[in-house]
Amino acid sequence: MDATTALTGLILTPLVASPLVYLFGRLAARAGAPRNPARWLALVVLAAALAFLFPAGQAVLNGSAVEVVDGAIALRMDGIGLLLAAAVLVLGLLVTLFSSPYMAGEEGEEKFYALLVMMCGTMVGLGCASDLFNLWIWFEAMAVSSYMLVAFYRQQGASLEAGVKYLVQSAAGSALVLLGIALVFSQSGTTSLAAIRAGAAAGSGPVLMAAGALFLIGFGVKTALVPMHTWLPDAHSQAPSGISAMLSGVVIEAGLVALLRAVGALAGVSTSWGLLLMVFGAMNILLGNLMALRQKQVKRMLAYSSLSHVGYMLIGLGVTVGFQLAQGAAGGFFHLLVHVLMKGLAFLAAGTLLYALHLAQGSHHPLVADDLNGAARRYPFIALVFSLALLSLGGLPPLAGFMSKWQIFVAGVQTHNMAVIVLVVFAALNSVLSLGYYAPLINRMYRKEIGPVVEMGKPVPVVMAVPLALLALALVAAGFYPALFGWLVNPAAASLLVAFGG
Amino acid sequence: MAATLLILSIAIPWFGALVVWLAGDARPRLQHGLAVAFSVLAGAVAVALLPFSSSQILLSIPVGGAFGDFTFAADGLGVFLAVVATVVGSLAVIFSVGYMRGEQQLGRYYALVLFFIGAMVGLVLTTNLLLIFFFWEITALCSYALISFYNDDPKAVAGGIKALIITQLGGVGLLLGALMIFSYTGSFDLRDFIAQAGNIPQTALAVMAFGFLAAAAAKSAQFPFQTWLPDAMEAPTPISALIHAATMVNAGVYLLVRFYPAFAEVPGWRTAVMLVGMLSALLTAIMAMVATDLKRALAYSTVSQLGYMVYAVGAGGLFASQFHLMSHSVFKALLFLSAGAVIHGVGTRDMRLMGGLGQKMPFTRAVFVIGALALAGLPILNGFWSKELVLEAGLVGGPLWMWVVMLVGAGLTACYTFRMVWMVFYGQPRAKLHAHEAGAAMKTALAPLAAGTLLTWLLAGPFSKLLESTLPLHALESHSTLHYLEEVALAPATLIAMVVIALGLAAWWQRARLQGLVNALSGVARAAADSFGFEAINRGIVRATQNSAENLRVTQTGLVSWNIFGIMAGLVLVLVILLLGA
Amino acid sequence: MTLNITNVAVLVVLGLFATGFYGLLAVRNLIKVVVALQILVKGAMVALVAAGNLTGQLQAAQSMALTVIVADTIVAVVALALAVQVRRCIGTLDIKALTSLKR
Repeated sequence: MDATTALTGLILTPLVASPLVYLFGRLAARAGAPRNPARWLALVVLAAALAFLFPAGQAVLNGSAVEVVDGAIALRMDGIGLLLAAAVLVLGLLVTLFSSPYMAGEEGEEKFYALLVMMCGTMVGLGCASDLFNLWIWFEAMAVSSYMLVAFYRQQGASLEAGVKYLVQSAAGSALVLLGIALVFSQSGTTSLAAIRAGAAAGSGPVLMAAGALFLIGFGVKTALVPMHTWLPDAHSQAPSGISAMLSGVVIEAGLVALLRAVGALAGVSTSWGLLLMVFGAMNILLGNLMALRQKQVKRMLAYSSLSHVGYMLIGLGVTVGFQLAQGAAGGFFHLLVHVLMKGLAFLAAGTLLYALHLAQGSHHPLVADDLNGAARRYPFIALVFSLALLSLGGLPPLAGFMSKWQIFVAGVQTHNMAVIVLVVFAALNSVLSLGYYAPLINRMYRKEIGPVVEMGKPVPVVMAVPLALLALALVAAGFYPALFGWLVNPAAASLLVAFGG
Repeated sequence: MAATLLILSIAIPWFGALVVWLAGDARPRLQHGLAVAFSVLAGAVAVALLPFSSSQILLSIPVGGAFGDFTFAADGLGVFLAVVATVVGSLAVIFSVGYMRGEQQLGRYYALVLFFIGAMVGLVLTTNLLLIFFFWEITALCSYALISFYNDDPKAVAGGIKALIITQLGGVGLLLGALMIFSYTGSFDLRDFIAQAGNIPQTALAVMAFGFLAAAAAKSAQFPFQTWLPDAMEAPTPISALIHAATMVNAGVYLLVRFYPAFAEVPGWRTAVMLVGMLSALLTAIMAMVATDLKRALAYSTVSQLGYMVYAVGAGGLFASQFHLMSHSVFKALLFLSAGAVIHGVGTRDMRLMGGLGQKMPFTRAVFVIGALALAGLPILNGFWSKELVLEAGLVGGPLWMWVVMLVGAGLTACYTFRMVWMVFYGQPRAKLHAHEAGAAMKTALAPLAAGTLLTWLLAGPFSKLLESTLPLHALESHSTLHYLEEVALAPATLIAMVVIALGLAAWWQRARLQGLVNALSGVARAAADSFGFEAINRGIVRATQNSAENLRVTQTGLVSWNIFGIMAGLVLVLVILLLGA
Repeated sequence: MTLNITNVAVLVVLGLFATGFYGLLAVRNLIKVVVALQILVKGAMVALVAAGNLTGQLQAAQSMALTVIVADTIVAVVALALAVQVRRCIGTLDIKALTSLKR
């Protein structure tokens, strides 16, 4: 199969299949099928998309971006697009597998899988958009499917509340992006990212600078840059756990990719983009850590920790944007990928415990830290993988989170710039601070006194443990051999360097 | 062959950790057996690596990029410390068979111990800076997990997290230094760095040197980071012996010795190292004088003895510091393990409740006294020779006033050691305790350590030869054992030290008459009991962080309009930065 | 400042955005919040068409604007569906009452 066909197939498969998943699921539910087939359909669709990714990805890795242009639709898969697509599809598959017992019997189960497939498809498309307006459309489509997934428990007040806040803030952000597109269009008369980049390098002006600011803020809402982050803890904690993993693992990163694409087209307009990324990085790291420190709800704590991890990525990317060092983006994208693994694992493991301790007993009570007391006694495997995820988030070896942070720090110090080195030390100190909330959770799980909540816990279905095992394995493997994902990360870093004129 | 042994010395304990964990807590006998087998095997492999010591790279795994190639070399310094880690490790595991009998979650315990042993071996055998940091952090992680092993005890949990966070804080210094080295030399191989250290700008080299010093001080619980080690005594006692006395806390000294040739010329660095060592040695010796918890007293003395090693490094006495490290690992492991036997026997750590235990535990008393004599520095035990060498190095390479302070420290050491021995084993029993003698497994572990305490000083000559021949960059000299013995025995400084130590002993015997002086010093004692205010500083920082975190939480109001305001504030911020940049 | 079509458009866009953000900050009824979001997007749309007019790419801008209308309608539908559900489950549309999730 040639690469362009593969790319077309990759983009079309989930988008076309999503309504079908819904339709079949709905019909089966009406017919009273005990196990909704929508989950298996979703699994097959995502696996098929992954199969399409191989030939397309092969071409990208061989050094040539894959392009498909049809009328107003312009797609171009480069290293960044490939990285995002791989992350989305792999995590999507694992989340689908995880959700099959987790969501079993929920009202509107088929809707869940249809939306999940749709969200994955739109994110793959977003990563490949080579036109500013296309980018916005993909972004908006991804946003709409995620709104509905966040508010999936539509009988739960808290879930609805989170959905409303997410929608309002995100929609306001995307209106700003649209205004930015209008500003760019008024100057360059085109929405092709490549053409805008060519034009912007020559004649820069305050209008394009304002457009860049609007992109940074508009997409920054989705990326949860501080102070536009306030939707994130609500949405991530209230969504079904599989969706929390998707939101934290890939959706905010998709926002980051959109941000980089749009701002990258305006790279020549200002020299401050790298600085801005690093400033937001520092704010995210600090606020995320401090907000998580006293948090008692497990999923909310993980949500705040996502803020700080976006911060680490931003520092790495900022080094590349500001200093033209590919190492920074390689570290940033490596951390992005590792964050997919570790935060995905953390949310899924927390979700498993939430399922066993509360949901399976029909309670929508949030999982709080006290519930975990003695969990290792009843759920030794879940406690182990959850601990691995938390330690990796805290940046301890031999786990992947250590290696990706290391690479970011290496890049930061390589700039030989005093301010950036101070920033690296600041980030490293914050990494220590983060242990102040990860370590107590682990301690709780390994307590000998079993808490009353664990005592009442239900057994965990084996299917839920499979994705956890795979993610944990990847975390450990990349922790011992950090070059494991180099083939995926380095082309992405090279693409970013190209976008920012390196 | 050598490369295989090197890999095995890391892989055997790590594989053992996995196996013991998988064996499951339902079969404790199997777990004990497996742990002993794997740790002893690791020890044998490490000893077998000794004849292959060389300065050459033995093993290189290509990784490249921001990680460097993963290189390992078995030079004298590394192999020596690997042997200490695995041999003391296997003795601690054997001791645990008796000490941990009947405990729950043995799988977690042994898996972490074995994981630690492997990481410690890796730390000393690798020449890649990333891997040094990597193994450094793993040892911290294991240390944290083992301190918090008794998870239902809030003190254990707090102690574990405190140890983790303080060593990590220091670790930032190592991180920064390692990153700076890479950014200037383009290589993560520490030998490349030591060879080209002269070409690096002075300021950058100073940042690296002091960053490494901070890391070493945190890891070895030196001033001003000393507060975590006493709190780490909540760990099971074999852990205190292995990690917090014989191996991990030596990593800081190891780091200083390893990079000494690169940093020795940095202005002020050697003085700072000596100062850190001296303050640690003196302050914690005073704290040990007033401690009432047996393990805490030993912990203070560990910090104090590590202070001697650090001081020796700063004075340029690399061999002396490593020799003292060897003696200390053996006698302090002996002291901790026999203290463990006491604690296991009587069920308390409070020395005020002990007394007169010697009659019920003659074997334990015998080995503890041997260890105590070595700690006090009495001839002819190993602690005597190495401590005299340290003091001599200090007299040659450092200022006189510091040497005098270190001498006073040696006197204090003798005094608190005898206080300890007396309170535990002699005098009248102060409480009705049902003591019982150590079991077979414990005795098996204690006997070799006691023998080592009596004999390891005979290794001075071969040990110096090993270091001299495999560390070409360190420019060391080697002599025969006899030479060292003569040197120590004939130096006038030794005589002075012996007098001071004797004075320290006399002070303990005459304690009733010295009551006036003790009362006069009660202020110092109170300050010592509170770690000279460092504890308060620690608590203050933690509280300030937690308060600001708690206060910050109000910013998450949950109001939609507030969220929108965040967007507008962000937009203003971005526009301002862009306009400033334009 | 002359009163050409571009300047008028700029004023309209600024007015719409100001109104929209004022609404988002000050209004309490969830339905009105959705209306405020709509006003924002409409402002952006006017800007888009004006930009097309300015650069002689009016047709492209108009087709984009049509696409935006479709996308925006979907968002509005989802938002209103959420609002209905909020009214049903929580019993109010006052966004000041929607603060069970905080801290």
